[in-house]
Order: sequence, then C-alpha cells, then structure tokens
Amino acid sequence: MKKIKQNLPALPILAYLIILVGIPLLLVVILSFLSRDNLGNIIFEFTLDNYKRMFDSVYLKVFLNSFLLAIFTGLITLFIGYPVAYFTAGLNQKTRSLVIMLIMLPFWISSLLRTYGWSILLGNDGLINNILMFLNIIDKPLNMMYKFGTVLTGTAYMLIPFMIISIYNSVDKLDRSLLEASYDLGGGKWKTFFNITLPLTMPGIARGFTLVFIPALGLYFISDLLGGGNNMFLGNLINNMATRGRNRPLASAFAIGMILLVLLVLFIYSRVTKNNKESLYQ
Amino acid sequence: MNIKSNRFRTLYLSLFFIILYVPVLSVVLYSFNKSSSTAYWSGFTLDWYKQLFNDRVIFEAFKVSIQVALLTSVLSAVIGTASAIISIYATEKTEKTINGLMFLPLIVPEVALGISLLIFFSALKLPFGTLTLVISHSLFCVPYVHIMVQLRLKEIDISIIEAAKDLGATKTQIIKTVILPLVMPSTLTASLLALAMSMDDVIISTYMSGPATTTLPVHIFSMMRVGVTPKVNALCTLFLLGTFLLIGLNQTIGSKGGNVIEQKQIR
Repeated sequence: MKKIKQNLPALPILAYLIILVGIPLLLVVILSFLSRDNLGNIIFEFTLDNYKRMFDSVYLKVFLNSFLLAIFTGLITLFIGYPVAYFTAGLNQKTRSLVIMLIMLPFWISSLLRTYGWSILLGNDGLINNILMFLNIIDKPLNMMYKFGTVLTGTAYMLIPFMIISIYNSVDKLDRSLLEASYDLGGGKWKTFFNITLPLTMPGIARGFTLVFIPALGLYFISDLLGGGNNMFLGNLINNMATRGRNRPLASAFAIGMILLVLLVLFIYSRVTKNNKESLYQ
Repeated sequence: MNIKSNRFRTLYLSLFFIILYVPVLSVVLYSFNKSSSTAYWSGFTLDWYKQLFNDRVIFEAFKVSIQVALLTSVLSAVIGTASAIISIYATEKTEKTINGLMFLPLIVPEVALGISLLIFFSALKLPFGTLTLVISHSLFCVPYVHIMVQLRLKEIDISIIEAAKDLGATKTQIIKTVILPLVMPSTLTASLLALAMSMDDVIISTYMSGPATTTLPVHIFSMMRVGVTPKVNALCTLFLLGTFLLIGLNQTIGSKGGNVIEQKQIR
C-alpha cells in the first residue's frame, strides 16, 4: 500500500513516455507487418513481404552502405578524436576549459549550417578547388562532392564532439600514478600508452563509438546535401518511402531493421563495458 | 612532457580547431559575397541580408520555429524537472523504469522516431502543426532535462533535506522551498538546450510540419536542396548570431547550473 502511494506521482510521467514513445514504436512494429494498396492506403492483412523485400540486393546494399558509413564514422572520429581528447586532458586548467568549450561549441551551431559549410568548401567551384587552382597545383577542379567520402566527412564532422568528450571523460579520470609507476618500471612512452592508457580508456572509446554510430545511421540530411542522389543510405531510403513513396508499411519495416542494428551495437557496448558501471549517457 | 611533444600537441589541436571551424566561417564569409556563386569573390555586399528580410516565407517559418522552440523549452523544463524529482521519491524499480524509458527517444534513430510519431498522430487524426511539433520536440528534449536535473539532485547535500524535515517541513514544502531552488539553475540550462535543439531539428520536424507550419530548418533544408543563393548563408549567419546570444544569456544567468556548453556533453 505504501509502495503504491509512493509511486502514484510517477504515473503521469510513465503515461507520457508510454503513450508518446512506447505506443508509436509499437505501431511501427504492427504496421511493418501490414501492406498497402496502390493509393497508399493501409490494408489490414498480415504479411511478411516488407521484411522479405529487405533482402532484395538493392536494399541489402543500402543496409551495407549505412552500416559502413556508421562504422567508418566511428573509426575516423576515434582516430582523429583520441589525440584531441588525450592532449586536452594534459592541458592546464585554464586552457583546458577554453579548449573544451571550443569542442562543444559546434553542438550549438545549426547542423544544416555545418553541413552546408562542407559543400561550400568541397564543391567544384568551392573554396578548396579555388585555392588549389589559384596556387596552380591543379588546373581542373577536383571532383569531391557527391561521393561516399563526402558523406563520411560530413557525418564524422557532425559527430566528432561526442567521441572526443566521451574519451576525454575517461582520460581525465585516469589514475596518473599508474602512468608514473609504468615509467618508473622502465615502460616507454608508447608501451605505457598501449598497456595502460588505452585499456583504461576503453570504456570511453566504446561509449563514444556507440554515441557516434547510432546517429550516423539516420542523419539523412547530410547524405542528401553532400551525397546527392548517388549514394543511398538507410535514413534517406526510409524517408523517401514514408514521404514521397507513401509506403508507410515498408518504411516501418526498414525502421525496425534500423532499430535492430542499433540494438546490436548497444548489446556489443554492454558486453564491452560489462565490468564498468558507467552508463551510456553520463 | 618535453618541449617537442608540447609543440606537437599545440600543432595538432590548432589544426583540429581550424578544420572544425573553417566550414562554419566559410558560410559566414560567403554571405557577404556579391556574386551568387562561390567561384569568385566579387566584393562585399549586404544585399543578401536585405533580400532575406523581404522574404515573407522565411519570416513565417521563423515565427513558427520560435513559437515551437519556446513552447517546447517550457514544456520540457516542467516535465523533465518533475520527472527527475518524482523519480527520486518513487521506489527504485519505478525510478529505473522511468530512466529506461527516458533513454528510448535518445537511442532510437530520429528517422525511426519521426516515422513512429507520424503514424501515431495520423492514426489519432491529430492535425499536423504547432501542437504535434511541440509534443514531438519535447520527446527528445525532456530526457536531457531529466538527466541534467537528476545529476544535480544527486549532488544535493542530504543533510539539508534532513534539517528541513527536523524543522517540521512537509514533503511538498521541502520540494518547493529546498529542492526546486537548488535544481533551478540546471533546469534553466537544460531548457536553453531544449530551445536550441528544437530550433535546430530537421528530421522529426519534417514529419510533424503541417501545410502552414513549416519550421525554419525544414524550410532551409528545402532551399538548400533546390539550389542555394547566399541568402541561405545570410540566414545561417543570423542563426549563428542568435545561438551566441543564447549562450551569452546562459553565462549571465548563473554559473550554478554549470556551463551550458559543457552540459551538452551528456547528449
């Protein structure tokens, strides 16, 4: 009885979350098993067709494309971001807070603006081509837009602050006496890094990778603006199916496929950080 | 650390920040370019800003965005703060359930969340517009408020609460006079974050916009797809200024809630 009274105020909050997150997601699951007529109206008949279509080679390629994009985004942000986080943690207090502010600031800048900036830089008559031609390094503009690499650049650029901050939090917590002990025992700089720093910052790496991987799957405006029509990714595909194609059941099935990919990554994350009490969003 | 590696550190960080900010700065730079192409620099102009101010559609979209962002930020601040306080008073099991559900909107990719809400609201026959925009935006803003307020709650010195209890304060009084004032800075910071996230959202807004209620980012996105004039640059530059004003505002509100920029790291 006391328990019920204690939990009573939580009911509206639970209702808010269940009605607005739980039920809509459940509807997606249900809809993914239905089909539609030629006008886009939904027919209430159980079918597995939507899921079968996922295995069409065209769509499998889209899945693979998105998966690769998300994995490479994770790797690139890791390799570029790790040194940033590592160096930042070694700075003195005053410089460090300035540097952290500079790392976080892009989060507050419109994501469309940040994506658009790259098309100004990389376009055929963009800034980089102009500078290179002015310096006579090239005589024809380099074709840098609308490629897989362009989308990858834009996505990694958008998400790298997540990676840096995750790793930074781990590096910052590192017990410096362990490093000193290693040096005292004759461990070199690199040896200490690979045997002590890297393993101890693994939770930060895993968390950063997860935080980067999930949004990388679905940021379709980046692939739209920087990838043109040449590269199809899961986000664009689902968006096209739902809006232009008016095929919500198929879009639902693909959205479920996307969520399953996310769950797979979260499962791996929980395995990697099994002995660690840090949670994903802290 | 020796001088050589110190120098490498400075070099690496500088290079990184140059790459981080060059795309943003180039958008700003070309908003002042006379030519509509980025091919050459043909002189300084404010024409694109003039054109921008005469654009009714953009102005309408801006009004929608501001309205939605303000409502979202207030709604999220209320729900998120309430949920954080309620969950510490509830049983551990309920607290865990709430925390778990709060993570859902953060781990489901935005496209999937957008589709699910599209299906949900059209099944309810709810007209798409400001209401659906505010509700859907609150979904990805409330979790941040909840997490940030919860962090603050855990920092509160338990002896303060006990002192209030000893002096005969009821639960409601404690929440009103002790807890709320203590978490208020975090709530304010989080609601500014909600404001910024709502103003910036493209994906969910695409599904939630009604025919007469296009938000600014959705409109900018469609402008960018069709072909861009530096009007977009001018708009983005003004947006950037607005963002900096917001951050400045937060810095002056107070340092208790933590730096607004650093708080966003939990995202």
